[in-house]
Amino acid sequence: MPGDPTREELVEGMIRVDHAGEFGAVRIYAGQLAVLGGTKAGEAIAEMAEQERRHLDGFDRLAAARRVRPTVLSPLWHVAGFALGAGTALLGPKAAMACTQAVEEVIDEHYAAQAARLGDDEAELRDMIEDFRADEIEHRDRAVAEGAEDAPGYELLTGAVKAGSRLAIWLSTRF
Amino acid sequence: MTTPPPDPAGAGRDAGDRTRRRDALLLAALPHVAFDGWGRATLAAAARDLGMKAADAERHFPGGAADLVAHFSDWADRRMTAALVEHELGGMRLRDRIALAVRTRTEALAAHREAVRRALSWLAMPLNALLGLRLLYRSVDAIWRAVGDRSVDFSFYTKRALLAGVLSSTVLYWLDDDSDGAAESWAFLDRRIADVMRIPRLTGRVRGAAARLPDPFRLMRGLRGGARRFRRA
Repeated sequence: MPGDPTREELVEGMIRVDHAGEFGAVRIYAGQLAVLGGTKAGEAIAEMAEQERRHLDGFDRLAAARRVRPTVLSPLWHVAGFALGAGTALLGPKAAMACTQAVEEVIDEHYAAQAARLGDDEAELRDMIEDFRADEIEHRDRAVAEGAEDAPGYELLTGAVKAGSRLAIWLSTRF
Repeated sequence: MTTPPPDPAGAGRDAGDRTRRRDALLLAALPHVAFDGWGRATLAAAARDLGMKAADAERHFPGGAADLVAHFSDWADRRMTAALVEHELGGMRLRDRIALAVRTRTEALAAHREAVRRALSWLAMPLNALLGLRLLYRSVDAIWRAVGDRSVDFSFYTKRALLAGVLSSTVLYWLDDDSDGAAESWAFLDRRIADVMRIPRLTGRVRGAAARLPDPFRLMRGLRGGARRFRRA
């Protein structure tokens, strides 16, 4: 249809939103660590944060190589990600894990949908997405193992975090 | 786009050919712009000079003046990028690289000063202002890429915004500069870059002051730890 994004724009949007997402993830974990650093839950968070760093580095490289402009909203994700991480961590380690579970679930869906749309001509991007997706699934399972589902107001909390994550994905693809 | 986008196998050569034909038409059009402005008359005259049918020429610039002006800007960007590839940028300071890029792009336009003047006044018209902004963005983007910038954080935008001011003011100054070899323009360019260089120093001072404020989270962590010890006691 006229006005629809071209294939080129579609892939650019994908790289932009994934880059923004990994940046947001790094900020969420940084927020959680600011509160829970040094505790037992903090160790698990620090390990997951390390992997998100690797993802962000990957998309940093890809975005620069493919000349994709970053999202204009990165200052917003800088603050909002940190606030989400610190805010849930202040509710306690279990709430922090519920937040992780909710975010990683949305990212898993998002990566799965992207990988399905990419063909062999974008094998590099697709493999990267599948690689990172495996990590995100692991984070989700780890969060559940750490007691995410026992968090106070679990349904409400994860529902809100998921809605926010989906909105962030929609915005970062476009802006 | 600055350069034709890389497209599926086979079409690449055609896109390159089209760019070459558009370049030829543009270069044939430039001398006419001073007299006929950016429009159909100029394009028709360029086609006549090249022995091409006017309809053929219009097929290469279906958007008329807008396409022609956009291609002019794109042509200058590509000239700049190609010239910078020849240079050994590695040992240069960033500000010198930027100055070189702006100067190279402006010098590529030296033979067409009148056409630049008319392009800028055409772009200044309200209906064309958006295109003007878009072209300016593409030019500063091309310059930052050409000098090797690979930023993907928000500095991507601040860099481009600052350079937009430098580039546009330098071109305006250069239009009316009749000094030898446009020496005054390059001095002007250096002063503008020096202005921009002052900004990080100012923001750095603010950041330095902010770092001295207490970290609220460390404070809270201390409170939690204290409360736990208190409960145990």
